[in-house]
Amino acid sequence: MAFLTPLLLLGLGAIAVPVIVHLVQRERKQVIHFPSLMFVQKIPYQSVRRRRIRHWFLLLTRALAIALIVAAFARPFLRQNAIAAVATSAGAREVVILLDQSASMGYGDYWQRAKDEAAKAIGNIGTNDRATLVLFSRNAEENIRATSDRGRLTAALNAAKVTASATRFGPALKLAESILARSTLPRREAILISDFQKTGWAGSEDVRFAEGMTLTPISVAAPNAANVAVPSVSFSRASFSNQERITVTAGIANKSSAPATGVSVTLDISGHIIETKRVDIAPNAAASVVFAPFTLSEPSVHGIVRTGNDGLAADNSFDFIITPSQSVSVLIINSGADNAPSFYLAKALSIGNTPTFHVETLPAARVTPESIAKQSVVILNDTPLPPALAGGALKSYVERGGGLLVVLGEHSTLSAGDASILPGMVGAIVNRMDGRGATIGFRDYSHPVFEVFKAPRSGDFSAARVLRYRAIAQPSADSRIIARFDDGAIAAVERRAGAGRVVMLTTTLDDSWTDLPLKPVYLPLVHQLARYLGQYEQTSAWYTVGQIADLTTLFKSRTDRTVVTPSNERLRMPADTSSSLELTEHGVYEIRTAANASGRPDRIAVNLDPAESDLTSLDPAELVAAVTGHATQATATAAGASTELTPEETEKTQSLWWYLLILGLLLLVAENIVANRLSVNERFS
Amino acid sequence: MSHDERGAMPGARFVDPKILARIGNLELLAKTVVDGFINGLHRAPFFGASVDFAEHRGYVAGDDIRRVDWKLYARTDRYYIKQYEADTNTNFTVLLDVSKSMSFTSSGAPSKLEYASYLGACLSYLATRQRDRVGILTFDSDIVSHVPPSAKHFDMVLHTLDGARAERPGHLVAPLHKMAEHFKRRGILLLISDFYDEPDAILDAIKPLRFIGNDLIVFHVLDREEIDFNYKDASAFEDLESREQIPVVPDSFRKQYRQLIREHINTLSTKFSESRIDYAQITTDEPLDASLFRYMSSRERLARVK
Repeated sequence: MAFLTPLLLLGLGAIAVPVIVHLVQRERKQVIHFPSLMFVQKIPYQSVRRRRIRHWFLLLTRALAIALIVAAFARPFLRQNAIAAVATSAGAREVVILLDQSASMGYGDYWQRAKDEAAKAIGNIGTNDRATLVLFSRNAEENIRATSDRGRLTAALNAAKVTASATRFGPALKLAESILARSTLPRREAILISDFQKTGWAGSEDVRFAEGMTLTPISVAAPNAANVAVPSVSFSRASFSNQERITVTAGIANKSSAPATGVSVTLDISGHIIETKRVDIAPNAAASVVFAPFTLSEPSVHGIVRTGNDGLAADNSFDFIITPSQSVSVLIINSGADNAPSFYLAKALSIGNTPTFHVETLPAARVTPESIAKQSVVILNDTPLPPALAGGALKSYVERGGGLLVVLGEHSTLSAGDASILPGMVGAIVNRMDGRGATIGFRDYSHPVFEVFKAPRSGDFSAARVLRYRAIAQPSADSRIIARFDDGAIAAVERRAGAGRVVMLTTTLDDSWTDLPLKPVYLPLVHQLARYLGQYEQTSAWYTVGQIADLTTLFKSRTDRTVVTPSNERLRMPADTSSSLELTEHGVYEIRTAANASGRPDRIAVNLDPAESDLTSLDPAELVAAVTGHATQATATAAGASTELTPEETEKTQSLWWYLLILGLLLLVAENIVANRLSVNERFS
Repeated sequence: MSHDERGAMPGARFVDPKILARIGNLELLAKTVVDGFINGLHRAPFFGASVDFAEHRGYVAGDDIRRVDWKLYARTDRYYIKQYEADTNTNFTVLLDVSKSMSFTSSGAPSKLEYASYLGACLSYLATRQRDRVGILTFDSDIVSHVPPSAKHFDMVLHTLDGARAERPGHLVAPLHKMAEHFKRRGILLLISDFYDEPDAILDAIKPLRFIGNDLIVFHVLDREEIDFNYKDASAFEDLESREQIPVVPDSFRKQYRQLIREHINTLSTKFSESRIDYAQITTDEPLDASLFRYMSSRERLARVK
C-alpha cells in the first residue's frame, strides 16, 4: 500500500483534535466553589457527562471515518506486485503478448531476451487479468487464447521456436486489435516483443488501435547488429562436350555499417566443396562472387553457398537445386521447300536459353507422323495440312499433349475434318491495304501468352501493321479468343484438345502480310507462344520461405507423396488432397512418390526471405504512433519495465480513494444514526 | 431586598447587609438593627414583655406560699395564687450551623455565616431586652462550641458568633440529636442553617428538638446565587465540603437547578409547617431588619411566651 500524496496523512491528526480540545478545556476551566453540588448532581444533563467517554464504539467509528476520509485524500494505491496478488476487477487487464519468432530473432541472444521479456510480461498477469500469447512472423498465430493461467502461457512460451519466416507486423497487430476489441476488460494492452526490423513495417498497413488500447513495444534489437548474408544466386549455363557446365555467381550482402573484410564464401555441390573465395564488402553494400564452373553430372544437384560467421546463421547459407536445362523442340512446317517464310520465326526461336528451343524446319510434303511425335510444338507456317498428317494423326498428336500453332496465310487450307481440333474454320483473306493497315487492338492479358505484356511499357503491339489476315468463320464454342484486330476481327484464338493446345494466328509470322517480325514485341511473343504450347514450366532452383509449392504442377503428376521437411518431419500428401505445400523451413525438402520410394527423391530448396537479413531496426515509437495514433505513448526498452505503471497511473486505475471516501461517509452516517438513537434513549431514560 | 417588601413597609428604613458588614462590633450592629427596627414601628405587637399581673388560680399543695395573695384571702377566705403575664426566665438559644458550606458568598454580599451571625446577634439582643436568657451552640458535623443560656451570657454569645468559622463539612443529624438530649428545659431554639440535606433527613434530625416543648424557629439562609444560579461560563463546580468537582455548563441547566432548589425550599417549608416549626427562608442580600420584620410579623402570635 502506498499513497500518492502521503503528506495529506498528516490530516490523521484530526482524530486527536476532539480529545485535545477536551483536555485543553479541562485544564483551562475555572473552578467555582459552591456550597453543595447536591442539586447539580441531580440534573441529568449531557454537558455534565459528555466529558466522559461513554460510547467507545461511537468514538472509534468517528475516528475510523476520519481516518478513512483522510486516507482517501492521500490517494492510496496498491503496488504492482500487490496488484498481481490481489488484482481488483476494476483494474483487470486484457493483455496480448506479441512475440516475434521470425528468422531474424535467431540473431545472437535476441530470442532468449525476447522470451525473457515475454516471461516477465506473463509474470505480471494478475488473477483477474487475461493474456493471449500471439507468435508471429509472416503471419500471426493465436497460440494461447485469452487465459489467466500463467502456467499454460509459460508452457506455450517455452514451446515457441524461431521460425524461418520473414517479419510482418501488420497481421500480428491486426490480430491483437481484434482480440482487444472483443475484450470486455477495462484495460487493454498489447505488448510487442520484437527486434523491430524495418522491413517488417511498410507503414501502409491498415492497423489502428481503438482509443483505450495501448501498445507497449519491447525491443530486443542490439544497436549496429552486423550481418553478412547470401541473398541470391544466379547460374550461367554452357554446353561443353554435350554436357552442361554451370557457373554459379553468388551475391553477398553486408548489412551493417562496418566493412566486412576477408569474408569467406564457399560453394558446396552435393556435399563437396567446389571452391572457397574471400571477398571484402563495403558497409551496407553487396558483392558478387563467381565460382569456377562445374559440370552437371546428375539430373538434380543440391548446392549450397556459405558465407560469414555472424549472429544470424540462417542467412549464411543459400541452398539451391540445379537441374539440367530443358529445351523445347519446335517443328516448323512450311508449304514448300523454301524456308523463307519461317526465317524470322526460326531466328527468333534460336535466341532463347530459358528454355532453349530446338528448331527443325520441314516442307509439308516431307512430314510424317513420326516426325512430329517427339516434337513439343508443331507450327503449320502458312501451309496446307501435310498429307501425312491427315486422317487424325495431327489430332492424336495434339490430344496426347502436343502443341500446335497454326499460322494462317495465303496458302493455308484446312479440311473440315482437320478442323475438328481447330478453334474455327479458316475463312477468306481480309485485305486491309487501303489504309494504314490493321493493328492488334485487343490482347487477353489473362492468357499466359500475353501475360508478360500486361504491365505498362511491356510491349507495344500498336506499332505493328497488319495488311492482310484471314477471317475465322464459326469459331468453336470451346475456343478462346486471345487477340483481336482493331476492327474486332480475330487475331489469335486458342482451343484445347485433350492434353494439348492449339493456337491459331490469322496473319503470318513473316513480313509478307505484316511488319510484326520487325517489331520488338515479335521475339517475346514467339517465345511465349512456343513456351505455352510446349507447356514449358521453368523449375526454380530455390523457393523462399512462405511460398506455396504446388507439387502436382511442379512434378507434372498427381500421386501420393511423402514430404520430408528440412527438420526431418514427414508429411503424407495423398493424391486426392491438395498438393499445395507451404514451405516454412529453411533447407531442402525431399519429396518421394509411391512409385519412386527407393530412388532419388525430388527436392526443393528453400531459403530465407532476403529482407530478413536486413536487421536495421525501426524506431518502436514510430510504429506505436502509427498504430495507436498517439505519438507520446511510453516506449519501453529492453530493460523490461514494460508493465510497470507510474504511481499516478496505478492510482488512477485502482481509484481506491473513491471506496474509502464512500466508506468513510457511510460510517459517519451510521454513526450519526446510532448516536441520535442513543441520545434519544438516554434523554427519556 | 425586593421592592415589594419595601413597599409593604412605608417609612421603614432598612439597612443594607453590606453596610452592616462594615460594623465590626456585633453588639453595636444588633442595637442598630433592633433599635431602628423597633423605633420605626408605630406599634410593636410584641412590646408587652413585663411582670404584669395576669390572673389568679386556686392554691394547690406544693405551691410556693409566698405567691399566695393574702389580700384576696382576707376578702374571700380562700387561697389564691397570683400569676403574672410574662415569664422572664425563658431560654433563648441560637443553634448556628458553621459547616463549610456556610462560608459561601457571592458578589460582595456577606457570607451566609456572617449573615447568620448578624441574625443571631440581633435576635439575642432582642431576647436580652426581653430579659430572656441567651445562649448559643455552634455545630458542623459535631458540636463546635456551646454557651449555655444565661441572662449574663449575651456578651459571650456575641463573642462566640464573632469567632465562628466555617471550616469543616457539616451534617445535621448527629449534632442535633446530641443537642436534643442536652436541652432539658424548654425554651426558644433559633436554628440557622443552609440545610443542604434531604428534607426528610433534616426533619428527622430536628424533630427531637421539639420533644420537650421547645419553641423552634428555623432560619434557612441562602445566598442569592444559590437560588438564581446566574453563572455564565462553563466551569468546574467544586463542592465546598466534599471537594468534589463537576464540570457544569450553567446556561444549559439553570432552569432545572432553580426548579430543584425551589422544590427543596417548598418541601422544607411544608414539612416544617406540618411539624409546627416556624420556618423562614432568607437570602444574604436582604436587609437584616427587613428579614426580622418579615419574620416577626409572621410570628406575632408568639409575642408572648407561655
